[in-house]
Amino acid sequence: MKRPEAAGEFVPNLAPMVDVIMVLLIFFLLGTSLDLVSQGVLQTELDPSSGPGAGVRVEINPLIRIALADVGGGESVRIYVMEEPLAENDFEGLYRFLLDRRRAGADPANPLVVGAETTVRWKFVVKAMDAAVRAGFANVQFAVSFRAGSIGG
Amino acid sequence: MKRPPKPARMTLNLAPMVDVMMCLIIFFLLAAKMVAAEHYPVDLPWAIAAKNVEASDLGTRVTITVRRAQGGDDQAEYVVVDWDGERVVERVLQPGEVNSLLQARAARAARESQKLRCVVRADRMVMYKHVEVVLRACGLAQIRDVVFSANAGTDPKEPA
Repeated sequence: MKRPEAAGEFVPNLAPMVDVIMVLLIFFLLGTSLDLVSQGVLQTELDPSSGPGAGVRVEINPLIRIALADVGGGESVRIYVMEEPLAENDFEGLYRFLLDRRRAGADPANPLVVGAETTVRWKFVVKAMDAAVRAGFANVQFAVSFRAGSIGG
Repeated sequence: MKRPPKPARMTLNLAPMVDVMMCLIIFFLLAAKMVAAEHYPVDLPWAIAAKNVEASDLGTRVTITVRRAQGGDDQAEYVVVDWDGERVVERVLQPGEVNSLLQARAARAARESQKLRCVVRADRMVMYKHVEVVLRACGLAQIRDVVFSANAGTDPKEPA
């Protein structure tokens, strides 16, 4: 009588699986673009004395205050510095003004407060912050909200 | 005469390679999802002083995208992307919900001794009052480290 043959060792063929995994790997390597990972940011630190239950409020002078009033329902803004309208009502003018303040000896660590009416577009607030950062002010903060029409009468 | 032994058949062990590749695929799957979710399409403002940073340099963070709601200018939606310890969570919140979410997230970060950062990605045309909701919530949650996403450079649509 013929003896049954010994069962052969079962070895799964991994080659097709490796092929598929390689394709997936290359897809994700190329798909996860580095352009997406990097992003532009403007950094700030919020005022620690803001919000209810905050500690003792400390006034630090001199303080530069920038206020943005809405003009034309979000079309533009009127820029105020220390409650006075800026002569050159644009953000390059604001940048030059702040740069002059820095050259005149303003401490870059001193707080610079940006306030805006509630209806002002975010892009204008970012431009004001951008001008401050470019002029060398490192401590940019945000003021509590101004109701529409409250700045400059 | 003795016959020479039959040469042994060489088989390549692919299992460790498959393991490593599986790990890489899972990593890229998660990374791609996180990147895609954090970069929810929104028309960011432009800023000359904006610094290009790698997402990994932002550390432990919660990303809030502020976009205009369908209802018009007066309303906004808040898309929050966060890592809950196991997976990427994406939620669309109303203004009233931002506060409680950030407080809970800040409390968890404090328990885990992490420094939490809030990344605000606001559409350039949203009203300041909508972004202010996030700023106020950050203040209440004691999150002091806030960064604003912006395109680096000057706005090509606006005259110089």
